[in-house]
Amino acid sequence: MTADKERLDRAIIAMRVARELPPGATVNLGIGIPTLVSMFVADDSIVFYHSESGVLNCGPLAEDGNEDIDLINAGGQFLEPVPGMAYFSSVDAFAMIRGGHVDVTILGAHQVSATGDLANWMLPDRGVGNIGGAMDLAAGAEKVIVAMEHNDRNGNPKVVQECSFPLTGKGCVSLVVTDVAVMEPTPDGMALREVAPGWSPDDVQSVTGARLIIPDTVAEYEV
Amino acid sequence: MPPAKLDAEAMARRAAGFIAPGDVVAVDTGLPSLIPGVTPPELGAWFLRNDGMLNNLPLSLADAAAITRGGYVNLAIVNAAQVDAAGSFAGTVSAANPDRQPPANSVDLAAGSGRVIAMLSHTDDQGRPNIVEALSSPADGLRCVNAIITDIAVIEVNGGGLALSEVAPGWSVDDVRAQTDADLSIPPALREMDFSLPANAPPSKVYPDGPSAIADVPDGATVFIDGFGGPGGMAHYLLISLRDRGSRDLTIVSNTAGIARVVSFGTPPGRTAIDHSVLIENGQVAKAIASFPVSPSVSRPSEFELAYRRGEVDLELVPQGTLAERLRAGGAGIHAFYTPTGAGTLIAEGKESRNIDGRDYILEYGLRADFAIIRAHKADTNGNLVYRGTSRNFNAVMAPAARVTVVEVDEIVEAVQLDLEEVVTPGVFVQRIVKRPDGFTGYE
Amino acid sequence: MTFSKLYDTPATAVADIHDGATLLIGGTTRSGEPTALLAALLTIGVRDLTCICDFADWDGSEGILQLAQAERIARVISPFPFVGENGGVIHKQWRDGALAVEVIPQGTLAERLRAAGAGIGGVFTPVGLGTRLADGKETRTINGVECVLESPLRADFALIRADRADALGNLAYRGAQRGWNAVMAPAARITIAEVDTVGEPGAIDPELVITPGIYVNRVVYTPPTGDRG
Repeated sequence: MTADKERLDRAIIAMRVARELPPGATVNLGIGIPTLVSMFVADDSIVFYHSESGVLNCGPLAEDGNEDIDLINAGGQFLEPVPGMAYFSSVDAFAMIRGGHVDVTILGAHQVSATGDLANWMLPDRGVGNIGGAMDLAAGAEKVIVAMEHNDRNGNPKVVQECSFPLTGKGCVSLVVTDVAVMEPTPDGMALREVAPGWSPDDVQSVTGARLIIPDTVAEYEV
Repeated sequence: MPPAKLDAEAMARRAAGFIAPGDVVAVDTGLPSLIPGVTPPELGAWFLRNDGMLNNLPLSLADAAAITRGGYVNLAIVNAAQVDAAGSFAGTVSAANPDRQPPANSVDLAAGSGRVIAMLSHTDDQGRPNIVEALSSPADGLRCVNAIITDIAVIEVNGGGLALSEVAPGWSVDDVRAQTDADLSIPPALREMDFSLPANAPPSKVYPDGPSAIADVPDGATVFIDGFGGPGGMAHYLLISLRDRGSRDLTIVSNTAGIARVVSFGTPPGRTAIDHSVLIENGQVAKAIASFPVSPSVSRPSEFELAYRRGEVDLELVPQGTLAERLRAGGAGIHAFYTPTGAGTLIAEGKESRNIDGRDYILEYGLRADFAIIRAHKADTNGNLVYRGTSRNFNAVMAPAARVTVVEVDEIVEAVQLDLEEVVTPGVFVQRIVKRPDGFTGYE
Repeated sequence: MTFSKLYDTPATAVADIHDGATLLIGGTTRSGEPTALLAALLTIGVRDLTCICDFADWDGSEGILQLAQAERIARVISPFPFVGENGGVIHKQWRDGALAVEVIPQGTLAERLRAAGAGIGGVFTPVGLGTRLADGKETRTINGVECVLESPLRADFALIRADRADALGNLAYRGAQRGWNAVMAPAARITIAEVDTVGEPGAIDPELVITPGIYVNRVVYTPPTGDRG
C-alpha cells in the first residue's frame, strides 16, 4: 500500500514551490502552505510580495510584540514593516490582480482537475464557503501554482480527473506541487513531472484521482 | 444702440451666483475657468478642473471623472459654442471652423452632473447668434443644459423652450431678442442681472457622537460596513451606535459578515471583538453581500453562519475583487462591467457571459448603498480622509458609493492641516464625521 | 543580487520602442509631461506612432509637437486633439490626411485606460450617448439609464513623469502631475517613468505612494531644468 510511504512535509513543498519564482516576480501567497513559501526564496533572488489586504512589497510576519492591526496580510496575519512598501485600497489591490500585474500566485486547493480547473472555496458538506480573493487570483494572475497535500484528511485524492466541488476557476492552474509529486495540468491531462524520494510514478498514480500522463523519465523531487 | 456687453469676469461672477454652499462645481476650460477666482472661499465650493485638481487636491483623471459620472457634481459649467432651444449644446465647433472637433471633456460634464450651465458669448465674432433654434453642428451634450449665461442675458431652459430670466444692465428684452435665433419666452419675474455673491458656509460635517450620525438609518436600508477581517479599519463605535439605534431588515455589504469575533486577530485574552455579529445577534440583518462571509474554521462558526443555518439571513456571495469593483462602479457612475473573475464557476450562473478577444468574462453591476459606515485615521473638517496602512482596504472604495457616508476617525483636524498629497478619500464623498471616543476599543 | 528598475539615460529607457508602437504620454498642459523621454524618442527615429494623450496640439506640449513636426505620428487619440483657434501642426497634418485623429471624452479615455490596467473587459457608461462620440457603439439600458459600451484601451509603452521614485519603481507625484500619469502607468505593457528625484526603497512613505512599483518597469532620473512643471 503506497499510501503508507513517507510523504514530504509542508516546508519541503514550500521549498519546491519557491524554486518556481523567477527573480523580480511579483507574487501573491494564499493562506496555509503558500504562506511558508517566502521563507525559502533564495537570498540572491528578489521577489516582491503583493497582498490583497492592500500592500505591495510587504515583508515577513511580524515579530511577537510588534503587531500592528493596520498592517496585515490577506489572512489577517500581522506583517513586519519593511522599506519600499506601498499601501492601496481593495479596488486597486484587485486591479493589480485582474489586470495581469501579479506574475505568480500560490494557492491551496480542495481539488485540482487534470486540465487545471481549481476548486478551493467550498466544501459541499458545509453548504457555505468563503471565496475571498481566490477567484480573482485564479482569473487574473499570470501563473497559478497550487501547493497542497496530495490527499485529504480521509485519504481522498485531491488531484482528480474532474472537480466535483464548486470551481474557483477553469483551466487556470499551471503547476501542482504536493507532498508526493510535481504535476502539470495540460489540455491532454495531468502530466507527472517529479516524484518524492522513494515514490515511483505508479505509487503516485495509486493515490491520484486523475489519470496521470507519465513520461519516460520522471525526475526525483528537486529542492 | 445697446450698451456694452459684459466682460468675462462679470459673466464669471454671475455664474458664481448659481453656486450653493458646499457645492461640487465642475468647471470647463475657457470662460468657466474664471469662476473659482471670483467665488467667495467661505462658500466652501469644491471646484473640479479638467486637469484632475479638486480645489488643491490632486486626483488621477480616472478618479476625477468618477466624481462627475458618479453624480457628485452639483453644477457643471461648460464652455459652449452654441446652445439650442432644447438645451443641447455644441463645443467649440463653429461656422468659421466647421471641421474642427471639440474638446471632449464637456461631453463628460454633460452626462453626469446635477445642473448644467452653458457659458458663451451671445453672438459669434461675426455677430451671428449662438443661441439658436437648432444646432448647426453635432451636439456634445443632448438636452442637458439647464441655464445659459451669456454676455447679455441669463436664459433658463425648460421643457417648453427658452425663457429669458435676466438681462445685463441696460439691455432690453428687444435688444436681446434681436441677437437671438430662438424663441424666448418672457416670464413676469424677468429682472436685471445681479452680481452680488452669497458667502454662507456649508453646514458642518462633524457630528457630536455616533448615535446622532446614524440616527436616520431606516429599516430596510442597505449599509456598507468596512473591516477587511480583523479589527483594523472597522468602525466599531458606529457599529455599536447602529446596534443601539436598532434599525432592522438591513442588507449589509462587507468583505466578511463578521469573523473577527471567532478568529483571534490579536484580540486580548478575555475580550470579545466587536464586528458585524453585534447586529446579527440583535436580529437587525436580513441579508449579507460578502466575499468571506463565514469563519475559516468549520468548528468555530460565526454569528452570521449560525443565523444563516437557521434560515434567518440571506447571503449573496461575491468574489472579493468583484465586490470591490462593483462598489467602485457604483460610486463612479459605471452601470455595469465585464470581469473575467468567476467565469465558468457558480458565480457566473444566471449572469451574462461574453467572450471578448478570446477571454471569457461575466457581466457584473455597480453596487450602491444608502449608508456607508467606514473608518479612517484622520479627517479634516471638509471630510478629506487619510487611512493607516492596510486599513484603507474597502473603506476608500465604499465612501464614494453610498448616498450618506459616515466616517469614524481617530482625529479630526482643521481643513488646512492635512497634506493634500496624502488624502485618499476626497471630502466630496464624506457627509458625516464622528470622532471615536477616547479610550474606546474594538473589544467588548 | 540587488534589484533596480533604474536606467542611466532616457535614451536607454526608450531604446526598444519600435515603429508602429502605441504610446501613452502622460501629463496635462504643462504639468507632468515626460519631456526628456519624448526628446530621447525623437532622436531614435521611430515612426508611425500612435500617441494617446490629453492635449496634443498645444504649444505647451513641446515633445508631442516635435514628434508631429518630424512626421513620426500616424494617429492621435485624445480628448483635445486640436486646441487653439487656428489649430497647430497636428490639425494641419490631419487636414492633409497625413495623420488620423480619434476624439474620446476625457473621462471615458481615463476609464478605458483604467479598464485596461485593471483587467476589465468593458464598461457601460452613460457618457457620450447621443453624441457622435458614441456612434457605432453598442448601447444598453441599465437601471433605466441608457449606456454605451466602452472597451479597454491598452498600449505598448507608457511614457510618464513623476516627482520622485524609489528603486522599486514606487512613484509619488506633485499636484496635477498625478492626473494622467497615474491613470496611464497601469495600462501599458512597459511603463517608463522620468522623475526629479530617486531614492532607496523606503524613500517614499508607503501612505504617499500613488503608483505602486508593480506598474512601473523603468525609472530614469532626469534632473529638473528650468520651467518644467
